[in-house]
Amino acid sequence: MPIEVIMPKVDMDMASGKVMTWHVAEGEAVTKGEPLFDIETDKAAMEVEASESGILHHLTPEGTEVLIGAPVAWLYADGEEVGEPPSRPSVSSSADGDPSRVSDVTEKPSEDTAAPERVEPLSSEEKTRATPLARAMARANGLEIDAISGTGPQGRIQAEDVRCFLDQSATISAPVAFKSETGALSITRSKGGTGTPVVLIHGFASDATSWAPLETHLRHRPLIRIDLPGHGKSPKLKLNGFAELAKIVRRTFDELSLDEAHLVGHSLGGALCLALADTRPRSIKSVTLISPAGLGPDVNGEVLGGIGRATRAESLGPWLRQMVKDDTLITDAYVRLAMAPRTDANMRAAQQALADSLFPDGVQAFDLRAALGRLEMPARLIWGKADKIIPWRHALGAPGNIALHLFEGVGHIPHFEAPEEVGKILKASL
Amino acid sequence: MNMQAKPTLRELSYAEAIREAMDIALSQDERVILMGEDIGVYGGAFQVTGDLVEKYGTDRVMDTPISELGGAGIAVGAALTGLRPIFEFQFSDFAALAMEQIVNQAAKVRYMLGGAVSVPLVMRFPAGSGTGAAAQHSQSLEAWLGHVPGLKVVQPSTPEDAKGLLLAALEDPDPVMIFEHKILYKMKGPVPEGYYTTPIGKAAIRRTGKDVSIIATSIMAQKAMTAAETLAGEGIDAEVIDLRTVRPMDRETVLASVRKTGRLLCVYEGVKTLGVGAEISAMVAESDAFDFLDAPIIRLGGAESPIPYNPELEKAVVPQVPDILDAARGLLKGRI
Amino acid sequence: MPDTFKDGNVPYAVRAYSPEVLLAALKKMMLIRKFEEGAEDSYTRGLIHGTMHLSIGQEASAVGSCMSLTDEDKITSTHRGHGHCVAKGADLGKMFAEFFGKETGYCKGRGGSMHIADPAKGNLGANGIVGGGLPIAVGAALSAKRLGTGAVTVCFFGDGANNEGAFHEALNMAAVWKLPVVFVCENNKYGMSTSTERSTAVKNIADRSASYSMPGVTVDGNDFSAVAEAVDAAVERARSGEGPSLVENVTYRWRGHSKSDRNRYRTKEEIAEWMERDPIATMAAMLIDHKIIDQDGVAALEAETTQIIKDAITFASGSPDPDVSEATRDVYTQEAAA
Repeated sequence: MPIEVIMPKVDMDMASGKVMTWHVAEGEAVTKGEPLFDIETDKAAMEVEASESGILHHLTPEGTEVLIGAPVAWLYADGEEVGEPPSRPSVSSSADGDPSRVSDVTEKPSEDTAAPERVEPLSSEEKTRATPLARAMARANGLEIDAISGTGPQGRIQAEDVRCFLDQSATISAPVAFKSETGALSITRSKGGTGTPVVLIHGFASDATSWAPLETHLRHRPLIRIDLPGHGKSPKLKLNGFAELAKIVRRTFDELSLDEAHLVGHSLGGALCLALADTRPRSIKSVTLISPAGLGPDVNGEVLGGIGRATRAESLGPWLRQMVKDDTLITDAYVRLAMAPRTDANMRAAQQALADSLFPDGVQAFDLRAALGRLEMPARLIWGKADKIIPWRHALGAPGNIALHLFEGVGHIPHFEAPEEVGKILKASL
Repeated sequence: MNMQAKPTLRELSYAEAIREAMDIALSQDERVILMGEDIGVYGGAFQVTGDLVEKYGTDRVMDTPISELGGAGIAVGAALTGLRPIFEFQFSDFAALAMEQIVNQAAKVRYMLGGAVSVPLVMRFPAGSGTGAAAQHSQSLEAWLGHVPGLKVVQPSTPEDAKGLLLAALEDPDPVMIFEHKILYKMKGPVPEGYYTTPIGKAAIRRTGKDVSIIATSIMAQKAMTAAETLAGEGIDAEVIDLRTVRPMDRETVLASVRKTGRLLCVYEGVKTLGVGAEISAMVAESDAFDFLDAPIIRLGGAESPIPYNPELEKAVVPQVPDILDAARGLLKGRI
Repeated sequence: MPDTFKDGNVPYAVRAYSPEVLLAALKKMMLIRKFEEGAEDSYTRGLIHGTMHLSIGQEASAVGSCMSLTDEDKITSTHRGHGHCVAKGADLGKMFAEFFGKETGYCKGRGGSMHIADPAKGNLGANGIVGGGLPIAVGAALSAKRLGTGAVTVCFFGDGANNEGAFHEALNMAAVWKLPVVFVCENNKYGMSTSTERSTAVKNIADRSASYSMPGVTVDGNDFSAVAEAVDAAVERARSGEGPSLVENVTYRWRGHSKSDRNRYRTKEEIAEWMERDPIATMAAMLIDHKIIDQDGVAALEAETTQIIKDAITFASGSPDPDVSEATRDVYTQEAAA
């Protein structure tokens, strides 16, 4: 009997993984413990070793997305007859809810509209999602609908978006060219955790996986990570400035339909958390801003630009090392991992365009100091005093009701450089 | 005709308004007769005919045997040959027993005969849920008959329209099916005195608004009005249109409203699938009003289920005010 | 054959009707036969689309049942209704035109074979639904009673319809309200392929009249005089306010149920036996016997009716087709609607 090689579950909220590279070819022998294939999840890439020895057959083609637990190949004993691939037991993904649930059975709008968080971003073959009115307005104004970013459910372009575009295109110079997409921002959730969920928003040129060092400390709460437009698995939206970005984040947050939430944001994500807390004060229970943007004009545009432009690990590494105080933390392996998603030139272009509109000429084009003053829920600032990207002294403008946690010898990413300390602060308060 | 009498402050119940319309018709036109089961001394299953038999006698207020098919067919034959019958079903559900005569005969005779005859027939169907009468006595079957060319189908939601539409139906040379909601029979409202008609094929804008068009039928028009008041307090300005006639549908009024608001919410008690809301939605989607939609269309209709007995279940399978509120909020807040 | 005839007594029809009326009746029977033969021929030539239900062999029932009716009196008919239509005085050209789907047809090409009607002559129409006309006939009778017109309605239906629920409901209400209606069952022994023996619990359909406290009689439906005698009595009873009756004309259709019938349920011998009892030949023999017409007269009548049919077909085939843009006309009386 051949032995199945399965897609392993290597991450707590992993539902599927992609077969990237086979290290052993069809029909070749492999010994238990040898590297067999590489997989990629929404978090990281990793190597899978052979769990048994045998002759490898029926390989799943590279690039194929496979549900965890499903076979990706089969190992045969030496001399064992190789026929058709053994029938694969069906693997069902864990159900989100009980379909037989009956609480209120009036025919409501269909499920796909009632549960927007389950909807995947549009695949590239599909047309841009826009309402008929938005299309008609775009036509009337000679606009390509694709040029407009949608802030509606699933990234739908609505009339308001066209109006917004028309207003802003009058004042803002053309952004860096990139092929824009539409769709909803990517949301990833932890399994488990109880009580008020924690919504995490990453910084510029980062993505949802950047929270990994902090997550062991927050495991008691449901974690909801948002990928910003042009980052991680989110679509590359055409954006015009911070207000529009904040609106998309707010829409994404609204679609989560949370009664209450804690917000944790880093850098640009911190600024977005602040904007969100300012507009959704009733549902936000606390705000934690880690090296946030928006509290002063200064920002290291050179580093942001360098990260945005880097096309290879070699050119990315030096800029990444600027982010931290202890640059030995940024190993070559780390840089390669960080570069992996950045090989997409279109994503880099999207991020550059975003940087251009948010930090033109190395200046923060948005100012949230007033919003900080309006916060009424518990709020704290966490900053490294060795931050070379945004000066920690911006924290000193915060009003007295906001807690300050300043770390010596820590750069722009405290939760990466000092995860234990930052984790303890959060665990104690969330 | 379509003349609207001067409004007065006099209030009648929906059932009283229908009875008054029949009383006027019986007194004005010798050709008018009432037919139905237990509409004589009993006064009708829902006491709509009441004491009309005392005034007009059993020759004109005719109790039929429990024979829906035969009774309906006799009404068709009588309408073909000079009478103006008003045929009452005890429950709209019993239309199923008479579908042959309604659908194959009444609706088609004129066309089959190349326009040589008309069938000026009025049928009244007490419809809808909310009485605990369960699956065989609670249906809203207007879409069944609305599907048949040759019939006209109306659903009054107010006492004034109940009277006006019945008198309009009697003036109409073609068969008119009136679906009356049982829960509305006791509802009171202003009803003009004397003779007037409410136009068939014309919707009523019950409330003007700019944010969302709620197109509702029968009792749902009342629920939509209740919801609209709550929505107004939240800054959502809903337009409520009482469709009143399912066939022929008032295309102009619906499309004009959607062009204005860009959002369409259909609310009806009949089963959602293949129902009145599907027709409204398709009508909008096929028209130039499509270009004015700024959100997907929503239909709130009855569940894919017979009407259950238990009162909580019974409520759960038809749209209620909170459902309308949720749907309207969702449309406005871009959640849908 | 009724005993009166065998015994050499003068049959009812000869006693009751003038020679002119009897010759007109014979002519109508011939027209029915030739109309249907012409329709069949046209069908064979591909001039008619759709099917048809021929009543060849049943002509005495149709004509005999309408003898005492005026244009004020109504009939409701069946899918096998050409005979009733001719008996009630329809124009053959307009009937053929309807058959050919022409704008000049009785229904302007919208109804076809199964819906030919002639409201001006009191024919409320054939009906594609078995039993569909039963309650409608009762409704027409209700109108007559309410409006005091004195009109009687003759309701034709087949043996098949006697097992429909509408039969029960209609006869019951007609009896309860004592309405001026005569139910004429043309029992041609088969509802499509199913014989009355296999479908109907009573031996004679007229026996069912007992359930509705109305008179019921079964007669030889191929004997013109017997049919006329029974139906005339029932019409007289209805007209005088005594209520409905049920008359069962036992007859036979020579052709199949419709053009798709392969005749697998009856024998050639049975068909041949019934064709021996041709109602038209029997009628002609009776009239010759009583010196109302002679052989030459019959031949002349044959030639005259053949020419009428020929002219009718010429009129119909030369008539204009309906305008396709008017396909939905006449759905409603008020065209603004829907």
